[in-house]
Amino acid sequence: MTLVSDSTFRILLSVITGGVGGAWAIHDILFIARLRGADRRDPLVSDQRFGYVMGIVIGLIGVVGTLRFNGVL
Amino acid sequence: MAATTATAAPVAQAAKPPRVVSRWNPANAVTASRYLTLPFLWWAVDHGYHQYATLFIIVCGLLDKLDGLFAKIFDCRSAFGELFDAITDGICYGFGLILVAAYGWAPVVPVVFVVGMGLANSGLRFVYIKRAGRTVNFKSYAMERIVGFTGYLIGFATGGMEVRFFYWSFVPIMLVIVLYDAKRMLVDPVPGVAGVAGVAGPAGDAP
Repeated sequence: MTLVSDSTFRILLSVITGGVGGAWAIHDILFIARLRGADRRDPLVSDQRFGYVMGIVIGLIGVVGTLRFNGVL
Repeated sequence: MAATTATAAPVAQAAKPPRVVSRWNPANAVTASRYLTLPFLWWAVDHGYHQYATLFIIVCGLLDKLDGLFAKIFDCRSAFGELFDAITDGICYGFGLILVAAYGWAPVVPVVFVVGMGLANSGLRFVYIKRAGRTVNFKSYAMERIVGFTGYLIGFATGGMEVRFFYWSFVPIMLVIVLYDAKRMLVDPVPGVAGVAGVAGPAGDAP
């Protein structure tokens, strides 16, 4: 029992993963850029910086996984 | 009716009495509705319906986004709501991960690591609550992102999308984040009652 064809399902998975992963990586790159010059000793700033770095890594993993899924890598 | 106080009050407004928010509010209702997706997810996995299983985990993830939105729209953010959201994340995604591993849709070893680290993190949160001396949700930007990734992990398994790659990529990232947050929860000073950053933030704003 399926909702859509296999090829459509594959495209949806790619968009949901690669699209969101790429967008999220860009989002966190922009946010981490905003923190330049902020006080690194501030616990909130250091938490944000670490969180954004992790967000970028996770986003890039999403993009790489999507490329592998589609045979590009 | 059970109630809890609103969180994240700016220091400048500390003199104001805390606003009381009922636990029976629209945001918490949306959070609770996420549990309704779990039987359907189980049904789909049990019958081998990959697309339906993916749909139900997507619905569960979207509801996680909606509860934060509802909390903002209806102005009903609370420490309890944030904690309830975090606990619901753990239960829903923990259930989903164990389910896909049990049915052979995901590798068991990374799932055991992920669930184990999730439980350890939950335990640390309760230690943090004890240190804070009140109901408070530990705010972590990195953990918000890894929770979003956890939802995706279940989707990768149900969709059959690069399952081993994503699961094994997840383990070291989660390990680093759990260790980083463990240091913050166990060693770093707990921010004050007046809602200093790190105690709480907007619920449900994970990726």
